[in-house]
Amino acid sequence: MSGKIAFAAVLMLCVGSLAGTGPNGTVPRTAVDRYLIHAMRDGVGIGIVLLSPEKARKEFVSDVNRCCVVAEIALYPAKDKGLDVSLNDFVLRVRNPEASAKPASAKVVAARLQKNAASDRDITVSPTVGVGYESAGYDPVTGTRTGGGVTRSAGVMVGIGGGPNPASTDKDRAVMETELSEKGLPEGVTSAPVSGYVYFPVARKKNAHLELQYKLNGSTVVISLP
Amino acid sequence: MRNPALWFAALLISAVLCLTARAQTNEPSPQPAERPGGNVSATQQQSPDVTDTSTPSDQAGEKKFLKESEGSGDKGRTHLRLGTVWLGASYSHYSGPYYYPYGPYGFYPGDWVYGSLWYPIWSPYYPPGHFDFNDGRGEIRLTADPKVAEVYIDGAYAGTADRLKSMWLDPGAYDLTVSAADRASFHQRVYVLSGKSLKITAKLNVDSSSKEKL
Repeated sequence: MSGKIAFAAVLMLCVGSLAGTGPNGTVPRTAVDRYLIHAMRDGVGIGIVLLSPEKARKEFVSDVNRCCVVAEIALYPAKDKGLDVSLNDFVLRVRNPEASAKPASAKVVAARLQKNAASDRDITVSPTVGVGYESAGYDPVTGTRTGGGVTRSAGVMVGIGGGPNPASTDKDRAVMETELSEKGLPEGVTSAPVSGYVYFPVARKKNAHLELQYKLNGSTVVISLP
Repeated sequence: MRNPALWFAALLISAVLCLTARAQTNEPSPQPAERPGGNVSATQQQSPDVTDTSTPSDQAGEKKFLKESEGSGDKGRTHLRLGTVWLGASYSHYSGPYYYPYGPYGFYPGDWVYGSLWYPIWSPYYPPGHFDFNDGRGEIRLTADPKVAEVYIDGAYAGTADRLKSMWLDPGAYDLTVSAADRASFHQRVYVLSGKSLKITAKLNVDSSSKEKL
């Protein structure tokens, strides 16, 4: 009896630890057609929300706009069937100019963001203004008698560099990795709808046409993103 | 610099620099077409409003103007900030025929008074309230309704919300809980990065179950 309890405790611990470290993703909507951009193939539904830079800035503490185009992807498995979710099945294609990218892992994105943050430059401009009053007397430097009066001074201090940039330390990289991982699309076999963020390491270009390709059962689903 | 023209020229240059940075910040960034009728998921609704203050000198009225370029890839950015505006006042009085090289370096018997509120260029000291930029922590700015709500970080009691408007934490992921009697609790996973500020508004709605009890 005690052996069974111990086994159950170990099992719970393992499950708990796996649940704590794995990506949680986001909450999928009630149905795939609740996504404005969605598609169905072989009973599998896929819904997409492409995050604008402003939206991504609000969603993430990490500055993901600096390296990636972020999409929230929801997958709805066919009824009574499992679906093997893998990031490798996604490709984001950019038309004009041509480019394509597979999703980057949270670890890679975090490392890239840390590197970007560390390469930032800080320039601080501080104006200084001073007003003084000098009474009549002898100037201690020249020995001449001074007339006194109001003195004014102004200047500008320009500082370059300084301490470490925000979000550029190794600790920050670990936090960014945690955030990106926890909000990322969970991988693995699932029979329930899942959704989460996917990070495509491509530069966001103005007026570029984007297209998401998803490999499903040997065929490719192509979804045009406005 | 006693010439007023030079005085104003220096101010003008700094103002132009800051306005230039602000103008570049306000440029609309390229973004894909917004889709109407978007249904926001539960996690999105609870997402924090992230602001990058980067500099902790808010107490000194410091402002930051960020020059950024969307989609700049791996290129580093230049952050142009308006630092603290220093204002000083002084009074000096010299007397006695003592002059250089004897005066300033030797005994000075005359009455010599010199006062200044602040000398930022020469002084090695920082003004009151100053703390070093980006000391390795990040800030959580919490606004809660009700203000006396209890705040828990990773399950540990941290205090009441009215006393925790600004919390400086080491970089990390934390579970933030705000709760009050007869109100639904607010839970959020927060990520703290060094030098960054996270603004969180926790509005606790009246718990419907407690209403029924009444």
